[in-house]
Amino acid sequence: MSSQPLVLGIETSCDETAVGIVRGRTLLANVISSSVEEHARFGGVVPEIASRAHLEAMPFVIKQALREAKVALRDIDAIGVTAGPGLIGALLVGTSAAEGLALALDKPIYGVNHLSAHLAVDALDESRSLQPAIGLLVSGGHSSIIEVTDLAKGVSVLGATIDDAAGEAFDKIARLLELDFPGGPAIDRLAKSGDPEAIDFPRGLQSSDYNFSFSGLKTAVSRYLKQVPSAVKADVAASFQEAVVDVLLTKAIRACTEKGIDSLLIAGGVAANSRLRAEAQRRCHLAKIELRTPPAALCTDNGAMVAALTSLAVSGGVSPSTIGFSTLSTVPLDQPTWS
Amino acid sequence: MTKVLVIDTSTDRTSAGLVSEDGVLANHFHDDPLAHGEVLPKLVAQILAAESTVDLVAIAMGPGPFTGLRVGIAFGEAFALAREIPWVGVSSLGAMAQAHNDPDFIVAIDARRREFFCEHYRESELVAPARTLQREELSEFTIPIYYEPPTVSAIAALALAGQTTTEPIYIRKPDAYPAPKGITFRPWTQMDLVPIYALEKSIYLDDPWSLEQFKEEYAGKSRQYLVAEFEGVVVGYAGVMLAGDVTDILTLTVAPEFRRRGIAREFLKRMVDWSRNQKVDAMMLEMRVGNAEAEPLYLESGFRKIAERANYYGPGLTAIVMRKELGK
Ligand SMILES: [Zn+2]
Repeated sequence: MSSQPLVLGIETSCDETAVGIVRGRTLLANVISSSVEEHARFGGVVPEIASRAHLEAMPFVIKQALREAKVALRDIDAIGVTAGPGLIGALLVGTSAAEGLALALDKPIYGVNHLSAHLAVDALDESRSLQPAIGLLVSGGHSSIIEVTDLAKGVSVLGATIDDAAGEAFDKIARLLELDFPGGPAIDRLAKSGDPEAIDFPRGLQSSDYNFSFSGLKTAVSRYLKQVPSAVKADVAASFQEAVVDVLLTKAIRACTEKGIDSLLIAGGVAANSRLRAEAQRRCHLAKIELRTPPAALCTDNGAMVAALTSLAVSGGVSPSTIGFSTLSTVPLDQPTWS
Repeated sequence: MTKVLVIDTSTDRTSAGLVSEDGVLANHFHDDPLAHGEVLPKLVAQILAAESTVDLVAIAMGPGPFTGLRVGIAFGEAFALAREIPWVGVSSLGAMAQAHNDPDFIVAIDARRREFFCEHYRESELVAPARTLQREELSEFTIPIYYEPPTVSAIAALALAGQTTTEPIYIRKPDAYPAPKGITFRPWTQMDLVPIYALEKSIYLDDPWSLEQFKEEYAGKSRQYLVAEFEGVVVGYAGVMLAGDVTDILTLTVAPEFRRRGIAREFLKRMVDWSRNQKVDAMMLEMRVGNAEAEPLYLESGFRKIAERANYYGPGLTAIVMRKELGK
């Protein structure tokens, strides 16, 4: 297979049906169909609704990605698909479609780790070399600090949240503030008109390790709202957001310093948060650390990230997954592809 | 000669076969209700290793347990797309019925939660559209009931005969309901008794529980009472009690101006969860005949009418006794 493999990647771990196509490290197509609107009225992702939407959208999303990339399925060298972690019923729609494509085309299939894939979008910036980095992965399902040396072979997790993920905390606080679902963008918007220093919310886990805890912060916000019914919502949103951003960046930058790695890669849905991006810029500049943040469109769940990780695996000589590999809802982050 | 790749994941069995007008060329299956995703690709790989030409994909579209069902459909559609060949879907129950010619019979697929997806055939004609029946309801039929999964040749035959569909046959709606906005749910406290009694009196005009009764309930053991609160005001309450090998819903009340907001549904869900934790077989409740608002909710939640009690709520007021099996 060429060193510039043409790879189609499928992602269905939550509420986005997504297909991306890459050639080597070049992004050719990234098509996403979201059922988020259908979930909004339930205040959270409803697994059965997500799974039905995935099945309905899948063939259209595949065809649209092929059109955008101007390639045909028969030209594809390998298929990549998110095998976990995620909602099992949702994942199975993606893995089954991927297996169908791979068997029909007689091409290798790679079941990949959703979390490693989030970091792999970094490879799509062809202007950079693939150098070691500290990864800060923040999304609705995960908040982790990861040492990345070779994404295709494995990463090491330095720390993770011990309770809620950052994105989950955003969703919960948004609900308390009676904002729309998903909570992340809603708080980001509201916080712009608020004072981030209005309320001094606790930062949680000030320990010397790389773990996070957001449940104390969540309780503090909820208690504050009860005690101060006249609170300005924008100030609460801004101050809450400030606390999350502070905790995430303090630990991530300390990891860079302590590990002697001068590159910070921020990925995952929460990496689209404008305050996190701005503050990361400021602190990295001060600490003389190179900041790598993928474009916002590649931070939320997408198929390009799956294709990117698969492409790295193919180029790196990683063996494909066996036909009928298992789909798992939880997997260790340091396992990038399935055997 | 048309080579039809047949895929069926609509029952506990995963089947894949290659069928032509001449008959079945290959037929592989594996029985495991939780492994469709792992099994199907292996079965198809086995078929393709012997014969890789496929002209048409025929997929069993259900009804069947949703997660497994979608494995076959997603796989089959993608396979057809990649091979640039057509695919068609057929009814799983329709394919099952092909195997039988009794004058009157039922075909049934386990729908989990003690329910079955069923079709009733009489003189080879479908009597009523596919629907779900509880195990107890199904057991009342005296005609033959067939549970064998459809054969690959029956699925291929329907596909070639053009009796096809393009949509998954779900029958059941997704388990989803809107989370009531701004409403908090919590166990009751002694402070709630008076507001609850006030709400009770305003709703059950002819026969409300007395404050004493609520106090007794509050002192009682083996029960769970919940209140729904909106801006600090009690807008609903519900109670369930352990009674031997079942739990009994004692009350489920929502202030009229707060109905149709998912509060009753949330109460019911929490009472079901509580009941499951008590490791009982079933839940029971009594409901006034003609309680048009509550009945659909109970039916949808798996409650079925098992008896009527005349004059239960007073002269001329009949109670319906409903039961929901909790199963595994
Ligand atoms: Zn994600």
